[in-house]
Amino acid sequence: MLIFSVFKTLTDQVVTVELKNDLCITGTLKSVDQFLNIRLDKISVVDPERYPHMMAVKNCFIRGSVVRYVQIPATAVDTQLLEDATRREHASTHKR
Amino acid sequence: MASLNGYINQRVLLILQDGRCIVGTLVGLDNRADIVLSNSVERVYSPDEPVEEVPLGLYLVKGDMILLVGELDTEVDDATDLSQQRAEPLAPIRYGHE
Amino acid sequence: MADLSAQVQEPFDLVRLSLSERVFVKLKGERSLVGVLHAYDGHMNMIMSDVEETILLVEPEEEVNGAGTVQTVKRQLEMLFVRGDSVILVSPGAR
Repeated sequence: MLIFSVFKTLTDQVVTVELKNDLCITGTLKSVDQFLNIRLDKISVVDPERYPHMMAVKNCFIRGSVVRYVQIPATAVDTQLLEDATRREHASTHKR
Repeated sequence: MASLNGYINQRVLLILQDGRCIVGTLVGLDNRADIVLSNSVERVYSPDEPVEEVPLGLYLVKGDMILLVGELDTEVDDATDLSQQRAEPLAPIRYGHE
Repeated sequence: MADLSAQVQEPFDLVRLSLSERVFVKLKGERSLVGVLHAYDGHMNMIMSDVEETILLVEPEEEVNGAGTVQTVKRQLEMLFVRGDSVILVSPGAR
């Protein structure tokens, strides 16, 4: 839930999604769901010479399970807030 | 949230786990993201030959197999000369230890 | 390190203690990351900053010498979400 919440705060940011088949797609994050499926708008592939396959694609839905990384603008996240939220989630799921 | 409903009746590109690219009109959808395409074709890419379009017609793709669904700008797509495009096929997703 | 192990009762405690620290992460596909850990969850999904990724490219065996050649490629990424299903191990205090 924590990571899902983080992604929701990143809506309308420009991110680069790297898939497990090495394809990298840059676009505006439009929405995310609990499976971390991702909707991107105004997309472009990072290496269009090598990947002309998506030339005519305007926006896309990416299955969460095929994502390797998402590159996020560093300015879009408050790292202190993230760490506090992570400690809180850890405490609530590991109570003894 | 990140739903596929907006793609109904649109021309879409599906990229599958095995790297295949399929273009068609999205006519059906369920909550497992199984997708039915009409007037669909597979676009077969190769590094030294033109893109080959293999007609598939009405086609059902299981949701598990789908890696990406993209909405096509039909103007751009129609203006694209596939006979001039050369590219390696997309790599499949590998599971397990790689 | 001795007092660290006293605080670690279960594996995720070690990850928690690495928050805001530099960690080494080994991934599937001959990849590894070194970066500062800011968030994680029970799937080992992580958010890291100031990341250096190292990819090991193993060229197929050449017939002449019989041995495959290994090449490393490095990349810098300012802020990165890493999906947990690629993660093999997380180690505190990057090498």
